[in-house]
Amino acid sequence: MTTRPSSTPARVRFHPGALPCALLLLAGALGCSSSSGTPSPDGGPALNADTVRFLEQSTFGPTEALVASVQDAGFSSFLDAQFATPASSLGTYAVNLEPPAVKCPTGSPPNCYRDSFTAFLPAVQFFHNALVGNDQLRQRVAFALSQILVVSDGEVNSTYGMADYQQLLLDDAFTNYRQILQDVTLSPAMGRYLNMVNNDKANPAKGTHPNENYARELLQLFSIGLVKLNSDGSVVTDSNNQPVATYDQSVVDGYAAVFTGWTYPTMPGVAQKPHNPTYYRGVMEAVQANHDTTAKTLLDGATLPAGQTAAQDLKGALDVLFQHPNLGPFIGKQLIQFLVTSNPSPAYVARVSAAFADNGAGVRGDLPAVVRAILLDPEARGAAQSAPSYGKLREPALLAANLARALGVQSDGVYLRNASAAMEQPVYQSGSVFNFYPPNYPLAGTTLVSPPSTLLDSTSVLTRSNFIYALLFATINPDPTIPGATGTSAPLTALGTSAADAGALADRLNALLMHGTMSQPMRQAVVNAVNAVPTTDSLDRVRAAAYVVGTSAQYQVEQ
Amino acid sequence: MRISRRSFLEALGAVGVAASFSRLGEGRAFAQTAPDYKALVCVFLFGGNDGNNMVVPLDSAGYAAYAAARGAIGAGGLALAQAQLLPLTPSSGTAAYGLHPNLPDVQTLWNDGALGVVFNVGTLLAPTTKQQFLQNSVPVPISLLSHQDQQHQWQTSLSDQYSRTGWGGRIADGLGKGPLPAVISISGNQLFTVGASTSPLSLPAAGGSFGLAGFDGSAASNARLQAMTDVRMLQEQNLIVQATQSEATAALSASKLVAPVLAGTGSTVDGLFAGLTSSLALQLKQVARMIAARQTLGVGRQIFFVSQSSYDTHNDQLNRQGALFSDLSPALKAFYEATIQLGISQQVTTFTLSDFGRTLQPASGDGSDHAWGSHHLVLGGAVKGQQTYGAFPTLQLGGPDDFTSQGRWVPTIAVDQYAATLATWFGVSAADLPTVLPYIGRYPTANLGFLG
Repeated sequence: MTTRPSSTPARVRFHPGALPCALLLLAGALGCSSSSGTPSPDGGPALNADTVRFLEQSTFGPTEALVASVQDAGFSSFLDAQFATPASSLGTYAVNLEPPAVKCPTGSPPNCYRDSFTAFLPAVQFFHNALVGNDQLRQRVAFALSQILVVSDGEVNSTYGMADYQQLLLDDAFTNYRQILQDVTLSPAMGRYLNMVNNDKANPAKGTHPNENYARELLQLFSIGLVKLNSDGSVVTDSNNQPVATYDQSVVDGYAAVFTGWTYPTMPGVAQKPHNPTYYRGVMEAVQANHDTTAKTLLDGATLPAGQTAAQDLKGALDVLFQHPNLGPFIGKQLIQFLVTSNPSPAYVARVSAAFADNGAGVRGDLPAVVRAILLDPEARGAAQSAPSYGKLREPALLAANLARALGVQSDGVYLRNASAAMEQPVYQSGSVFNFYPPNYPLAGTTLVSPPSTLLDSTSVLTRSNFIYALLFATINPDPTIPGATGTSAPLTALGTSAADAGALADRLNALLMHGTMSQPMRQAVVNAVNAVPTTDSLDRVRAAAYVVGTSAQYQVEQ
Repeated sequence: MRISRRSFLEALGAVGVAASFSRLGEGRAFAQTAPDYKALVCVFLFGGNDGNNMVVPLDSAGYAAYAAARGAIGAGGLALAQAQLLPLTPSSGTAAYGLHPNLPDVQTLWNDGALGVVFNVGTLLAPTTKQQFLQNSVPVPISLLSHQDQQHQWQTSLSDQYSRTGWGGRIADGLGKGPLPAVISISGNQLFTVGASTSPLSLPAAGGSFGLAGFDGSAASNARLQAMTDVRMLQEQNLIVQATQSEATAALSASKLVAPVLAGTGSTVDGLFAGLTSSLALQLKQVARMIAARQTLGVGRQIFFVSQSSYDTHNDQLNRQGALFSDLSPALKAFYEATIQLGISQQVTTFTLSDFGRTLQPASGDGSDHAWGSHHLVLGGAVKGQQTYGAFPTLQLGGPDDFTSQGRWVPTIAVDQYAATLATWFGVSAADLPTVLPYIGRYPTANLGFLG
């Protein structure tokens, strides 16, 4: 299927009233001038609104140059090219042996802990890559996956271990979900995070049972969820209108027994042991003697016979999981929420589930097909969506990256990483396996959900505004503790060409940041702020405009 | 998955609840002198605190049963040494239970008569025995053993649905409008704090800032602020935009009042927290500072939410829980002492919540797995302390309280009852209690008696 950018671009210059023109166009109103027209000499290039929206969903943010390029290539070609683009690197980090008695003994470099035992540096690189990497869609999908298949340095105290795990998600982002289940399950970082590593079969002498942590969260968070779903994502209920559970404790027991008998990869030059010491490079290794070889009861009555190896049981258990009908709607709906909108219609979820079930060539779980279905769906596309329930709050990392890319900010990633953390989203450092926010967080006063609104409270809403102020107005010098740091700067020179004309400046930000949805009263407010700055000070005029737009709820909620 | 406001009201109707509230403390609660000031302080222990190692039987038979099931330390087990336990000696008689050795300040609070322990509390939908659970003859909370769901159910008391409001917020719904939201979280957004008609305030922990930066009073700056305000006040169709605008408006309004309090360096309570650097201590310090400023702020009833993370001790539990308790113990004591210094220890009650307890039987890796009922701490001058409340479970794998074979206790006290006791003390009338806790009528008592 080939979808070209809309032939009726919705870039607008004049708004007759408070309603976005897209709404008025839907209603058949005239007076919304919607010509793609020749850009005014000081107004920047003409931007197709649907292309801008598409890039909000599929990248870390549109730039004027990228919009122009995708307008030429078309969405489908852009996707094909992105699927083929290899992953950016999160950096190369030395292996730190663990557990040393003291991680950073006296005499270590001052930031030894941060730079060797946390995800700080890979997260800095994440933001740098988000600004400059060509694998934009891969990075977006991997970021979504990192928030579904969560590993955090709260437990994996290892810079290289965290980087290797997140790199795995980048590399696997356009493979098959079965492959991801396999690779994540055998990742030593995940093994450590959810205690599958060195998980031994029940030991009657010690009175211990197999550790349930990975089994439970694999079922609950990484694959099928707690309750049975229809293919449109709606919950299957029983005769008492109660949700039907997907599994009970006996199934958790079964999966916990499956995931016994694995240890860390054997370090080069070190003899293998039943419980290898901590080592995050490579994949976990089976230790058959520690594996539970009894028969196991899995989902919906599926069983594994007694006497299998650890690898056989693992394959069989993941195969059962992969075929479960919940998998498509459970993962597909969350990917829609991460990329497009918090409250997709059941029909949208069903279309994505169908793509998950069959990519058109009989293959289940093909992620490029799922991503394509999500981004080219009619509910994702169009110049604007007008339903009051549509859209999503930009989560901190995406807010920071979107603004930075649109405004031409140059950054080594340090400040953006720190700002995102201050706005309650420390990338790769989630407080728990439940991510920074749950997929069903209720939007106060409505019947909707708004997962990223978990992170929007009366403190962080001010932090967001203060971040935007600092990004635009402050000088952010290189952090001297980080080798090669270059700092963050927003020269705003590209937008400066529109600075003399407040209206043109507002229109340009409207097109680039809000895909043409800015109302006339909002535009007027931006113009007022700009016109309070002398025309001789073009930098501060751009800053004023970008501040008012950037801090607005109208922009921060991507519609 | 989502529960609409209507179905919430239907749920209330289904248990015969009057929809209206009498206004708690109306007309006097917010008087400047606020002689009847009261505060509830929720300390949520995220991850599922292992109550089995927080309170341990001291008598020989009880300890032997505990030690047998928990297993020896160093051999994959989790049993704390009997001699290390800190006795919880009642006002008369001998100690039947001991505290984890890293809770010495909690022991002190007990000895001072300010702290009580409530046994085996958990999410329920009706009084439930093991037999009833296994026979499926009573309704059972949805998604037992799941962190997120059980956290929500502890915070909402509604274990048969995905409630959009919490019992802290629903108490606040009955309080009338004050100068600040009655519920304040120092731990970000939490369902506990959300009411049907009220929204919480979220503040940073001590040391954090709470204000808008970047305005210097120049003409350009004033125009930018005005433009920002104009945009925030625009009527918008999109519901997520509306909610985001509202959050900013509420924040800016509260910031004017609260920022000076938070920025002040001379709060009289600060010294009591000297040397305490844990996240929980900084949160409780902020609560203490807010309470110290209650007359300036003109508030009469407040509900605070603070939390501690990382109780999900699937492995290495002895070290992990020990470290968490080392933070919890002095923070609780410093906070209680702050209320004494402020002369309102009788008017502030602090209590713990947590996802669930943990299996008595250890899991591979020196940890324990998700379970159900667990023990909780209640603290304050109004607490009838130095006592335990409720029935201690039989520490036996597969025994009368274990609904599995790994030591998971069927709760004998419902979250609803625990919450009702606190709400009643706070001033919620018996008639209004079902509005806050819709299922409270299902239990034999709404007052566990731990508050005077």
